[in-house]
Amino acid sequence: MIAISIKWFAFFCICLILQTSLIPLIAILGIQPDLLFALLFFICMKHGVIPGIFTGFFMGLGLDLYAPALLGQHALSKTVTGFFLGNFNEKIFRTDPILKTIIIIIGFLLHDTLFNGIQLLKNGEQLSHILIQLLTVTIPRAVYTIIIILLVYFWDSEIKPNLRR
Amino acid sequence: MRWIIELIFRYKNISSLLLTAILSLAMLSANTLQQQKIARGLTLTLFFPFQFAISQIQQAKYFFSENKKLKEEITALNLKCNTLEQAEEENKRLRKLIGFREQFNYSLIPARAIAREPSHLYRSIIINSGQKQGVELYMPVINKSGIIGKVIQVMPNISMVELLTDPSGRVSVMTKKNNEVGIVETVDGRKLFIKYKKHAEIHIYDTLVTSGLGGIYPRGLSVGIVTTIEEKNDPLFKYVIIDPTVDFEHIEELFVIKSSPQWSLLCSELDSIGKKQ
Repeated sequence: MIAISIKWFAFFCICLILQTSLIPLIAILGIQPDLLFALLFFICMKHGVIPGIFTGFFMGLGLDLYAPALLGQHALSKTVTGFFLGNFNEKIFRTDPILKTIIIIIGFLLHDTLFNGIQLLKNGEQLSHILIQLLTVTIPRAVYTIIIILLVYFWDSEIKPNLRR
Repeated sequence: MRWIIELIFRYKNISSLLLTAILSLAMLSANTLQQQKIARGLTLTLFFPFQFAISQIQQAKYFFSENKKLKEEITALNLKCNTLEQAEEENKRLRKLIGFREQFNYSLIPARAIAREPSHLYRSIIINSGQKQGVELYMPVINKSGIIGKVIQVMPNISMVELLTDPSGRVSVMTKKNNEVGIVETVDGRKLFIKYKKHAEIHIYDTLVTSGLGGIYPRGLSVGIVTTIEEKNDPLFKYVIIDPTVDFEHIEELFVIKSSPQWSLLCSELDSIGKKQ
């Protein structure tokens, strides 16, 4: 259990470093993949709801502390997203790539809706602005992240077994 | 209370979500000042172990280099300290010797032991004074504690000294208290003894000095102290064991007494008589 936690924590650190350093370099029209979301997705898929909730909470808390704006904003949005994604745990729910893609898009929309909703409530932004952001930023981000996630799945299912052989 | 716990366990997913969501909302609902306070507290709580670990690693790294540096310094200081201690000891010894030299009536040649006999017996030493410094054969050698021995071989710059502990050597001594004369001998080079007549008045802790009768050593030089008196089956003699005043294992600075043996005068007299005849 501790080894798994350390492994995921190490992944979190790596993803956070990459997200803040390398990922901006591969941004397309200002759209970047969200590695932390991808990590949360993998954890939820592998370990289920409760690890997903707590991972989401602590990951969000970490981000809140890393880039302080509204304390709890990331924590709440990632917690709820973790709960949502955790319900599609691979152990109890067989998912094909299309379904996974749909889950990721919904997860992204849920995350960003919550995130922007909190922003709206706290800072009084316009609802239309949030909707535009969901369409112009969230969905492209989700697509970009899906590509990354698919690449990881491809690595895991195709390349890694061949290397082992 | 129990039913709450049961409820939490039954709906653990929802309970976990609620717990974390409530915590997040609590943080969100706090005002800016409180948020800063919470953020600071959390940062300290969450990051302190990592910061602590990193600082410990850095400290350990520092300690290693510091330790290495300190070890080097200790070694250097130890060497320095040893040198100073030796110099201090030498200084003390030399001061004593200067005082001793001033008290002594004979002319003395200062010397230093430069080599010892390689065997376990302390029979002879080599000193760094020879003919060039005025050393002659059979000159007595002393230090501040008493007599060491006599010169048995002289070379231009070095000389060999036969120690008192050499089994082949003999020294005529007497008790300081009542002038009981005897001859110091040794068999094994370690135990010095004197064969005294049974009736001789010898006591433990009596100080023995040279008698001046042997012709080599001047009278009154310290030789040793009586430690044991052994009454053996010998009807004529008793064996007096003495503890020499000189530490033969640690001889360093010494003096050669510039005096020719008294029997050299006798020899020259006999020579002159022979020539006349």
